[in-house]
Amino acid sequence: MWKFIVRRLLIALPQILLLSVLVFLMAQMMPGDALSGLIDPNIDPAAIEAQRERLGLNDPWHIQYVDWITGVVTEGDLGRSFRYKMDVTEIIGQRLTNTFWLSLVTLIFTYLIAIPLGITSGRYNDTFRDQMITGYTYVGFATPLFIFALVALWILGFQFGWFPTGGSVSPGLTPGTFEYFLSRLHHLILPALSMALITTVNTVQYLRSEIIDTKQKDFIITARAKGASESRVYNRHILRNSLLPIAAFFGFEITGLIGGTIFVETIYSYPGMGQLFVESINLRDYSVVTAVVLLLGIASILGALLSDIILSLVDPRIRIK
Amino acid sequence: MKTSVNKFLLTLILMSLFVLAACGGGETGEDDNGNQATEEEDRIYTIDDFNQVKTHEDGAEAIDGGVLNFGLVSDTAFEGTLNFNFYTGNPDVEIINWFDESLLAIDENYAYTQDGAATFEVDEDEGSMTFTIRDNVNWHDGEPVTAEDWLFSYEVIGHPDYDGIRYGSMFTIIEGMEAYNNEEADTISGIEVLDEKTLKITYDQFTPSLLASGVWAYAMPKHLFEDIPVADMSSHDLVRRNPVGMGPFKVDSIVPGESVTYVKNEDYWRGEPNLDGVTLRVVNPNVVVQSLRNGQIDLVNQFPADQYPENAEMSNVEFLASIDTAYTYIGFKLGTWDEEEREVVMDPDAKMADVELRRAMWHAVDNQTVGDRFYNGLRWNATTLIPPSHPDYHDETIEAPLYDVELANTILDEAGYEDVTGDGYREDPEGNELVINFASMSGGDTAEPLARYYIQSWDAIGLNVQLVEGRLMEFNNFYDRVEADDAAIDIYQGAWGVGSDVDPTGLYGRNAGFNYTRYASERNDELLAEGLSEEAFDESYRQDVYSEWQEYMVENIPAFPTLYRARLVAVNDRVQNYAVNFQAGHDIYRYELAVTQEDANAAE
Repeated sequence: MWKFIVRRLLIALPQILLLSVLVFLMAQMMPGDALSGLIDPNIDPAAIEAQRERLGLNDPWHIQYVDWITGVVTEGDLGRSFRYKMDVTEIIGQRLTNTFWLSLVTLIFTYLIAIPLGITSGRYNDTFRDQMITGYTYVGFATPLFIFALVALWILGFQFGWFPTGGSVSPGLTPGTFEYFLSRLHHLILPALSMALITTVNTVQYLRSEIIDTKQKDFIITARAKGASESRVYNRHILRNSLLPIAAFFGFEITGLIGGTIFVETIYSYPGMGQLFVESINLRDYSVVTAVVLLLGIASILGALLSDIILSLVDPRIRIK
Repeated sequence: MKTSVNKFLLTLILMSLFVLAACGGGETGEDDNGNQATEEEDRIYTIDDFNQVKTHEDGAEAIDGGVLNFGLVSDTAFEGTLNFNFYTGNPDVEIINWFDESLLAIDENYAYTQDGAATFEVDEDEGSMTFTIRDNVNWHDGEPVTAEDWLFSYEVIGHPDYDGIRYGSMFTIIEGMEAYNNEEADTISGIEVLDEKTLKITYDQFTPSLLASGVWAYAMPKHLFEDIPVADMSSHDLVRRNPVGMGPFKVDSIVPGESVTYVKNEDYWRGEPNLDGVTLRVVNPNVVVQSLRNGQIDLVNQFPADQYPENAEMSNVEFLASIDTAYTYIGFKLGTWDEEEREVVMDPDAKMADVELRRAMWHAVDNQTVGDRFYNGLRWNATTLIPPSHPDYHDETIEAPLYDVELANTILDEAGYEDVTGDGYREDPEGNELVINFASMSGGDTAEPLARYYIQSWDAIGLNVQLVEGRLMEFNNFYDRVEADDAAIDIYQGAWGVGSDVDPTGLYGRNAGFNYTRYASERNDELLAEGLSEEAFDESYRQDVYSEWQEYMVENIPAFPTLYRARLVAVNDRVQNYAVNFQAGHDIYRYELAVTQEDANAAE
């Protein structure tokens, strides 16, 4: 087991390194830099040029890359954001907490919705209930997240006024108080819910087909023949076996969330990694872009690793020796 | 099994019916709204329809205190560099303006007045200015704002470790500044602290620009910043989390990137503010309308003009507008930039070198219609390169070329641009094929149709104009290529803001890097120099010089302005004493802001 994890980690390292080179190269190939288009007759173009020189924007890419990667490896220093004029680690630190909470709440919602729906739909397949649930999953598949999020914002946020329409916390509260926590939660629910309602449909479908599959297996017939009650058959025998792919997809779910947060955070003006990423690309804040992509890449690679590990834990058959 | 399949199909059919019905409903709904929208969209507004100020004309009494909700319209989080000396972008300065301010007040033409926190005296012979800070001007922590604090700003910006973008000609013209910047001197010889409240600055070149927003008038609390190395200042908590200013409101708390709460500064030098506080929130342009409608925000710093026609009748807000200090223009590439000499080099063989060709192109476009159709009149035909946002300098009497296709054709015929090959397009006077490559930026719904409109207009006078590479350019790409004098670009459509001082040298001077048209002429140099000469301290002389300059540019057309624009804001009914962004010349200041009731009205 440990050998397997170590081996996977060792494979992940060159992957991450390659990713960092690609990311860096692509960021460099984007036209413009953080200072282009900054036309203000009150600012001296020479001052802008001096800034470029100072920031090393005029160096060839490999020199910039080596400078950057040495900083990352030796000091964990991801560079300095031109736009925010502060260390990238610090900005990402601020944003990462926001995204972490958003992702966590989304995940909780996703499973809260997926598991009961999946079970109902699998257990009573081809009934009206199942058809309603399957209908929902099809609609969910077909609805783009950003549209759904906008509609949810408009209806629940503006029409009914149940939820705040932007930001991560009400202004003016003191961090650490219970009120602050409640406000954070209140701000989280709508974005998390709108994301969960869309991303959960995959899981519902997996769970459904897995349950339908499992309940026709021989050992279920055996369990029934032994006289196990229907609820025992479903809860002990079928569900446990059907949760396998769900567990396996947990890691990928995390990767999917990253993509989702980009839309949701932008729509709800929620200052997290996704919003930071989009802004930094638009404003050519290279150091932030590379750092964010690198972190997201690492998260994906680790997510996949996590999936493999969970899979091998829950399913002894595919454990790698 | 078969029945269940049938059932499933039935459900599907039912569902699709449902969806179709819903769509149908939507469509009729849209139709109703659509008609209404067309009516509204056909309405043409003009800048004169709007007030610039909201006072208490409706007779309601202001209450004591109250908290105002201010919406900072931006699709990005704010950076949080909350200090005049360090900020770069627009979102930040909107936040700073609530808690800090310039020591010098300006009038509507951006010239300094004696109404600010400091007064000044000018000594033209010596080339110096002496500033006196009022006695009751204090920092939020109670310490007085001193001449030392002001000097400290200059020392920080001029410091070699300074990481902002402010250091430029505004500073280098001060005596001894460059020596200080190069670390040849420990102090700036041109700036003297005469006593606690008096500062004297001596300039190497003393120009009228200095009196028109040409002085760096922002002090920095030295007693707080003193021990912080200059390189670390911009990331320090005093800039990020607990900024201290001298303005009417104090920062109470900041949620990075999204909101700021302020409380009133009772000790404010103009008087105690009416409001108890202000809550500033970043509002995405997509949700501005809704947030205003339900009263979540009282005020926005800028209302997206394209959403105005549909919301003009919003019952709980009043829209105010002023003329923006910016214009859109078509620029002609006439040369290149010499990096060594740092000056413009004109190319006499440039494709657009013939002024008659440029004039014909100006005559060919109908900017008034563009403004009406694309912007409902919230942008309108521009005439000269000094926009009416500088009322005393913009010369209305200048007759700029107007839309006249026949005249455009005649000009081209006379200049020898004729269709020799008979393909419907004119060739240049030597008979060579003439294809003009047009660069235009993408972004917004109007970018594409607008570019197409211009191309068609030029087509109508027989000029073959093509978009560079057949498509619009992304913002960064556009400026990279325009700045680098890419040979593939002959003309381009750009927009820019003019400086607070009317002097256009930064955009059109021979040594200006921003002079993207790369146009220079001796007469132009002369006129620009005259505008900054000693005689130009006399305002009417200066006006004459810039009138002449505007006229000269209308005749020589290195670029022609297409549209001036309005800057719109929306203000809830309960707000009193607000002038569009507290622009100068209205004698209304932030501390006077008031509300008439505790909560904002929602729209009916």
